[in-house]
Amino acid sequence: MSTHTNAAAAAAPGQPTPAQPTPGQRGLGFSATFFWIEAARMARNGYTLAFTIVMPVVMYVIFGATPEYGSMDAGNGNVSFSVMVSMAAYGVATSMTSLTSLAATEAQQGWGRQLALTPAGLRGYAAVKVAVALFYSAISVVAVFLTGALTGAAMDTAGGWLATAGIILGIGLIYGLFGLGVGLIFPSDAASGLASMTLTLFAFFGNVFMPLSGVMLDIAHYTPLYGYVALARWPLSEGYLSDGSQDPLWALILNVVAWTAVFVGLVFLGLRRSRARH
Amino acid sequence: MSTQLAPAVELNGLSKRFGAQNSSRVVNAVNGIDLTVQAGEIVAFLGPNGAGKTTALDMLLGLSEPTGGTVRVLGQTPSSAVAAGRLAAVLQTGGLLHDMRVGETVRAVAAMHRVTSRVQEVMERADLTGIARRSVGKCSGGEQQRIKFALALLPDPDVLVLDEPTAGMDVGARRRFWDAMRMDADQGRTVIFATHYLEEAEQFARRTVLVAHGKVVADAPTEQLRASLGGRTLSCSLPEQGREAAMELLGATSGIADVSLDGHRVTLRAADSDAVARLLLNELGATDLEIVAATLEAAFTNLTED
Repeated sequence: MSTHTNAAAAAAPGQPTPAQPTPGQRGLGFSATFFWIEAARMARNGYTLAFTIVMPVVMYVIFGATPEYGSMDAGNGNVSFSVMVSMAAYGVATSMTSLTSLAATEAQQGWGRQLALTPAGLRGYAAVKVAVALFYSAISVVAVFLTGALTGAAMDTAGGWLATAGIILGIGLIYGLFGLGVGLIFPSDAASGLASMTLTLFAFFGNVFMPLSGVMLDIAHYTPLYGYVALARWPLSEGYLSDGSQDPLWALILNVVAWTAVFVGLVFLGLRRSRARH
Repeated sequence: MSTQLAPAVELNGLSKRFGAQNSSRVVNAVNGIDLTVQAGEIVAFLGPNGAGKTTALDMLLGLSEPTGGTVRVLGQTPSSAVAAGRLAAVLQTGGLLHDMRVGETVRAVAAMHRVTSRVQEVMERADLTGIARRSVGKCSGGEQQRIKFALALLPDPDVLVLDEPTAGMDVGARRRFWDAMRMDADQGRTVIFATHYLEEAEQFARRTVLVAHGKVVADAPTEQLRASLGGRTLSCSLPEQGREAAMELLGATSGIADVSLDGHRVTLRAADSDAVARLLLNELGATDLEIVAATLEAAFTNLTED
């Protein structure tokens, strides 16, 4: 028994030790090593690549690049550009949603417990996962925009391309909240699929995939993807729609703000549910 | 210096209640556990499934908040001990992502600990170098357990908590695992493990804490716990001639209990096994005598039954 104290002293010099701040304890706990491991893992998962990159590109090619109306003027560019923006925004929303909902699910399983026992903790994991989701979102935008540039999507200024990409990625972040909320509320592998499917539905009814008119368009104004995509198209069309009407900027911003609030609500609901389970 | 050492683990009145107070569905999963573990001890947390072991360990690790009582690890809160890399665990449930590779898993968690330089050493120690590129989902239960063991070793913790650490390991792997643990304990690492394998507590823990219904029902050096049960189990073959009379005699002798006959073999429990052995061999013509120390199994059954 007497050996214990000596051995322990050797193993833990300077006892009693106050909590030593470690590098991971402060800040976000982001790790580049973990980021690349996660990025590679997601790449091996064909689902991620198919939904975040292949699908938006293919949809753009079908609806934006090949039809004859593609080269028609639309505001400060052409129709191809408009379709390209829609598909890129859809791709970003999908990748943010599916990757963050997956992260929320994983964090609530044993893996989350394992990571909670590291100095960087779940905060570090969240930082890595959001970065990976953004990374795939950016790849999605680049892939769609590159395809667009090569197939006749036109915009009057180079600044217009950049501004559009910036809006798509910037506002697209709120779909990280959506995915997180869904993943926390339904902690299963199905959550990610459910979230992506909901998003596709929103895209159909949100004037994203094809121009809506009449009552459908009236309803579309209140759906989540509407404000996002209309704002992404702003540098191109400044709110003008195919039927000649114009959305005021404030209404589009209001749509995004309102849905962001809803997504934040989902996250809080999910957090409460997830805490109740433990 | 030695007088100032904080205990490795100190639990005071630790409790966890699930469900709202006053509701009829309240479950007291952990019901007032007091426990002090000194540095360098190997302690088994032994109890049947549902005894509250995992719940108690979760609170010890800071993964869940107690509804009553306190936890100190090395004189700190569990989360500061974790943040300082002094407390680590092998967790029971899941814990690994199936589509991550073995080497990636270790590197990722090492990155979260900021100890990527230790990856190689830990991979070798847990015998994972050969399967580094395999995906976790393709690993056997024992291999996955070794991965988790590697993850727990990454921060080189002072206190290591293991929840059913050898589940799925074969006998050889289990022995190697515990040999390694013993060496660590000798160097001052504290090891606390939960198990429902009595054998494992008997063979590897110097101290056993018996948990049932969320309470500590016994806490003693494992040897002593076994001894305190009183006596050993003896079994032998008795010649057919005079067997009935012998059985009667054994049943009537004080200090002998639980006499039973199965075919020609008699089994009994005795406080003074030497005396009873002499009786059996010299007087009753017994052959093939076996003497076994009482197992924890018996203690377990006695102490955990209502």
